[in-house]
Amino acid sequence: MLSAEEAAALARRHGLRQVGLRPTLPAYLRDVWGHRHLMWSMAKGEFLSQHQDNYLGILWAVINPILLGVSYYLIFGVLLDLRRDVENFVSFLTIGLFTFTLISAALTSGSKAVLGKVGMMRALSFPRVLLPVVVVLAELVSSLPAFAVLLGIAVVSGEPVTLKWLLFPVSLVIVSVMGLGMSMIAARVVHAWRDTANLVPLLVRLLRYVSGVFFSIPARLAAVDGVPVVVSVALQYQPAAVALDVVRETLMASYPLQWQTWTAASGWALLFLVGGFLLFWRGEGTYGRA
Amino acid sequence: MAVPETDAPPAGPGDPSVVVSHVDITYRVYGSGVDAQEDEESALRRLLTRGTRGMGVREVPAVRDVSFVAHRGESIGIIGRNGSGKSTLLRSIAGLVPPTAGSIWLGGRAALLGVGAVLLPKLSGRRNVMIGAQAMGLSPREVRDRMEEIVDFADIGRFIDLPMNSYSSGMAARLRFAISTAVVPDILVVDEALATGDAAFRERAQERIEQIRREAGTIFVVSHNSGTITEMCTRALWMDHGRLVADGVPGPVVGLYSRKYGKYRERWDQARIVGSDVGPEDDVPPAGAAGGTSGRR
Repeated sequence: MLSAEEAAALARRHGLRQVGLRPTLPAYLRDVWGHRHLMWSMAKGEFLSQHQDNYLGILWAVINPILLGVSYYLIFGVLLDLRRDVENFVSFLTIGLFTFTLISAALTSGSKAVLGKVGMMRALSFPRVLLPVVVVLAELVSSLPAFAVLLGIAVVSGEPVTLKWLLFPVSLVIVSVMGLGMSMIAARVVHAWRDTANLVPLLVRLLRYVSGVFFSIPARLAAVDGVPVVVSVALQYQPAAVALDVVRETLMASYPLQWQTWTAASGWALLFLVGGFLLFWRGEGTYGRA
Repeated sequence: MAVPETDAPPAGPGDPSVVVSHVDITYRVYGSGVDAQEDEESALRRLLTRGTRGMGVREVPAVRDVSFVAHRGESIGIIGRNGSGKSTLLRSIAGLVPPTAGSIWLGGRAALLGVGAVLLPKLSGRRNVMIGAQAMGLSPREVRDRMEEIVDFADIGRFIDLPMNSYSSGMAARLRFAISTAVVPDILVVDEALATGDAAFRERAQERIEQIRREAGTIFVVSHNSGTITEMCTRALWMDHGRLVADGVPGPVVGLYSRKYGKYRERWDQARIVGSDVGPEDDVPPAGAAGGTSGRR
């Protein structure tokens, strides 16, 4: 029998490639690029399997957030009277809700992206980072009809259509990139410590409440005395909060474009993307064994 | 009878295509912390005193210290009882389950053909072909060009546009076989997939496998049927409790295996008691076999 060194030498002499290892970063990026067609096919498949099990299919991607919007409007807007802080509460709420739905979907399905696909991983070999990427792509495509409806709601609720609406798709790209990063992080963390899967719903709910989905953060902060600066900055500039603001700024007249929001949002998106990719890549060579 | 893996030019039909060196594969199994025989009271006490350890994680060594070298043109049968680590080892060879320790080198692309290898059950056969074949390195256009050929080989007719969870197990197995061999892989790993499917398909599958072997590929076959192994293979590996205990010409290896686990297994046990220098825990068969069992326990 060969020793480990002899085996390595033999493999090298015959030009064999070692498998089950973490590839170098450039090799991994090349591998991902080489599998881009597979990525699209998988995203399409993911999208179809999500929506084909019921009669209304993708319509649910529109109906759900609208129903949620109506109930939030009644509870938070009317009952708790949070609409007094905002000029156009309907637009404010629906933009917040639809955008947040994308973020929460990225986090939730990202956390299941690897562990839920063990069967597929044991059948096909591809760079595993495709798994969290594919679920976010599928979520993004599913949410496009909802975002189209969002434009309609903005017009009907009285927002003027201006040139800055052209930035709306850009803002969605920023939010999606942020979601992509979050998805990769969630996928790796839950794969490494699967108990953390139980914390994901909690995290999503917490984010939903603190990120200003249904209330204006600055207005609420102003209403409370003696909030430390650190807390108020953290609340306003945490990733989910700026993600909602950046979308609102493209559609709502009462929210002018601000470079601070856009810088913060792009910064977070880039940080999550690069950080998430590196984190996921570091775990390559362990996926599939758990 | 054994094929010794020496550093010299291989005795096999061609160059090495798979080098497996001291591979361990350990699965983490969750929710298995409580022993089955434990009564409720002590389980409760354990839960209270040890906190989360009651629901702990257990590490299950599926493959332990396996080493061998496979060559081009060889077809290698793997025998062993259920749970002996055959499938895990094969998945690792196909690059799907990374080894916990040790290394695996491959010369070329490996494809796994397994019964349990579910693709996407909710999607149509056609989409599964698309995804499966792309994962094997075909471009979308190449897949479209070969779609008909693949569907024909699988012989599932109009079911190709229905979701795969509506397929019979034989149909699903045929489609998976057609996908896995759509591109002639350098290394084909067949995990008991030939048992499914009707006689006509089995014949075609056999033919396709033979063709891959002729094109200097390496083939691994897992089968419980020792007949299949002696007929199809040029070499056999015997896995027992995650270890490789025999490696050699199919006839003798299969013979040893069936002597231990077959109809006359009592005689093996008796023989071991007589030759008492072989410990009861030691699974090394007496007749010379090269394997990864030397003294690591």
